[in-house]
Amino acid sequence: MRKSFLAIVLMYGLLFAGSFYWQLCAPIQDHPANPRYYQMFKERRGAVYDRNGLALAESAPDGEIFARTYSTASLSHVVGYFHQRYGMTGLERIFHEDLSRGRSLITTLDLAVQQSAEEALKGREGAVVVMKPATGEVLALASAPWVDGNELDANWSDYLADQRSPFLNRATHGLYPPGSTVKPIVYGAALSQEHTVGSQVWDDGGSLAIRNRTIQNFGGKAYGKITADQALALSSNVVFAQLAMELGDGLLTVLREFGLGAEIQFDLPNLGGHVPGRVSSDYDFAQLGIGQGELLVTPLQMAAVASAIANRGIMMRPYVVQEVRGGLKMRQITRPQPIREVMPEEAAAALLGAMELAAAEGTAQTSLDTAFDYGGKTGTAQMGQGSDHAWFIGFAPAERPQAAVAVLVEHGGSGSQVAVPIGVRLLEAALAVNE
Amino acid sequence: MIRIPYRTWFEFTGWLLCLIGWLFWLQGQIWWWQPLVLWVLVMVLFFLTRGLGYDAGAMPFMAVLAMTGWIFLTRLSPAWASSHTWGILIAGLAYLLGLWTGSKSFGHPLVWAGLAIGLLAATALFGQSAGGARAWISLFGLRFQPVEAARIFLVFYLAHYFTEGRSKRELFAVLGSFLLILAWQRDLGPALLVFFVFCWLSLHWQFSWLKLCGYLAVSVLGFVLACQWFPHFQNRVVAWTQPWEYLDSIGYQVLQGLFALRSGGLAGRGLGAGYVQVIPNVHTDYLFAVIGEEFGFLGTFALLMVYLGLAFWSLRLVHVMTEPRRQLIGLGLTLLLHLQVFLVVGGILRIVPFSGMTLPFVSFGSTSLAAQLGMVGIVAGLGGKGGGD
Repeated sequence: MRKSFLAIVLMYGLLFAGSFYWQLCAPIQDHPANPRYYQMFKERRGAVYDRNGLALAESAPDGEIFARTYSTASLSHVVGYFHQRYGMTGLERIFHEDLSRGRSLITTLDLAVQQSAEEALKGREGAVVVMKPATGEVLALASAPWVDGNELDANWSDYLADQRSPFLNRATHGLYPPGSTVKPIVYGAALSQEHTVGSQVWDDGGSLAIRNRTIQNFGGKAYGKITADQALALSSNVVFAQLAMELGDGLLTVLREFGLGAEIQFDLPNLGGHVPGRVSSDYDFAQLGIGQGELLVTPLQMAAVASAIANRGIMMRPYVVQEVRGGLKMRQITRPQPIREVMPEEAAAALLGAMELAAAEGTAQTSLDTAFDYGGKTGTAQMGQGSDHAWFIGFAPAERPQAAVAVLVEHGGSGSQVAVPIGVRLLEAALAVNE
Repeated sequence: MIRIPYRTWFEFTGWLLCLIGWLFWLQGQIWWWQPLVLWVLVMVLFFLTRGLGYDAGAMPFMAVLAMTGWIFLTRLSPAWASSHTWGILIAGLAYLLGLWTGSKSFGHPLVWAGLAIGLLAATALFGQSAGGARAWISLFGLRFQPVEAARIFLVFYLAHYFTEGRSKRELFAVLGSFLLILAWQRDLGPALLVFFVFCWLSLHWQFSWLKLCGYLAVSVLGFVLACQWFPHFQNRVVAWTQPWEYLDSIGYQVLQGLFALRSGGLAGRGLGAGYVQVIPNVHTDYLFAVIGEEFGFLGTFALLMVYLGLAFWSLRLVHVMTEPRRQLIGLGLTLLLHLQVFLVVGGILRIVPFSGMTLPFVSFGSTSLAAQLGMVGIVAGLGGKGGGD
């Protein structure tokens, strides 16, 4: 009897264990053969709003299911898409738990700025990120080309065949050499060490010989005797190569402090890029100082850099979801959060001045009429093959920046000609954001 | 002992009334009298059992199980539930019959063997097939599965065989023809069950490692042969070992059951909120998965605890029996029930291949319900008067 008793208890023990495993542990919930997966298309999903309460993504009944519509096409790289056949991406995927329970997302995006970004990038390959420096709120994030979340059924095969990779979010996952947009970081590092470096006079002969190799200015121009501020404004490779060589290993530390080489803690997944762990030769330091060589960054990282400079040295964590709201009780609010001080306030102020100079009389000038002063830095990332990538990072208004931007146009040629007008227009749109 | 059942009644009644209210509110129209009739039946059986002096301790467990079945069948389809209500009423009679049968000790072993084999043979000759097995007999417009009764009679015979030391040749003839007819009917679940019960009783009667190894060897051999001879058994084994490769054919039922269980999680999605209409034969084979999805792990845990409670009740009763034959019959019937729970639930949980039997007391199916209540009745009857309380 005792053995029978134990055997029956053992049998039920096995059943308890099996129930425990299959009901609580087995990783089979999201298997495509599970018909419950399709249930979520039959329920109204929470909406996604911009900062003014305009709907960015909404569900509306469409026969048996609810169809998701997006207010503008470029949102597919931020809000993402949610489709019965093609799955989900972006915030739709990351906040799926909340959205599928009918909760809505209130983002920091501004539909008008997003649409300006979309307009500016249309027909190009590139990315822009617009942020508020004081808080880290992302006003717009766009990557071109994009897939249109409203037209997935019609265009899916075209999207798949598109050589320009419309599924790639270049803002978060595009890795590019920063070109001259790294110079503000180099300059910031130099200013942090020595406040008077801005008024030092350098002799720029147009090229710099390092051992048996040379570093040249863009187009081989010689600027003669210039201050470091002017060197930034004119984007002198000769001066910045020397600054970088003087900074040495300290430069690597500062690059990392500015958030390069590591993933940003953001609502969307993103790549960390690359900062070399060890640099052996002076020439390699010089290359680093002008944004070539091993350095790789994402547009999101460069927007955070511009934003940190504009916020006088305090880098804020970028975020795009400011609130998850469900019913009366549930409100989950994101608060602005500083990441770290990337440079002392005085150094940041000096750097802001130098970037303002670049916008006023340097490479970041524009022929557009603007009602505000801005500061910025252009970049032209030289590629081994094909035309160069055009960069611009900037902020406005110059005295008390309210908006920061990073613009990248792949194979756009010169930063001054292509990226600056886009950046200026976006800063204008961002300054028009009503508070 | 009587206090616990009494308290159970009150809690059970309250639970029941809440559920009736819920169903009334949800479905709009409901045969609200059905649960009340069942409740009255359970009360009558309980007090009758106790009044006659038998142990009524099994009634709360069976009542909870039967009502759970009724509730889930109502949730699936009210038509099944009302058919189930009649099934439970008939099963109540079977219980009383069992009580009476158990309290007497009559019958000749060969009569039991003849009844068991005769019922099976009749099914094999005049039966109708449904669901892959030819296991139904239609009599005066009523359809039933004789194998449910036949295996009880076989347990009676086995008890006689061990206690009276009857000839092995006779055993081989009886057990062999029983299993062969079942195999011929392609009803392998009951065959497996009966074989295991025989092995277990044999080991219980006289334990030896040699015998244990022998039975294991025979099981393995039988398994291999069944795989070769019966394509549908082979399919079940494949569905057990590699369902993911056949997820829209033979593995479909197993996987849909697992998806249902997994989506239940800890507390379940709530009664009626499951997505279980996709599981084939859900009302007979897969009610456990429905309970798992809608009541969660807590629900299945509670359900298994109720079965375990029922097992403890009958083992306790069997344990104090003094007459070896009664003890063997009691143990055999207990095993018949709980091995079936193990094979059914274990099949759904992928512990063993799925054998397509009903979940005792819960699943749809009047014959099996009657047989199962009858078995409990027999065990209570075997316990004799004054055994309980």
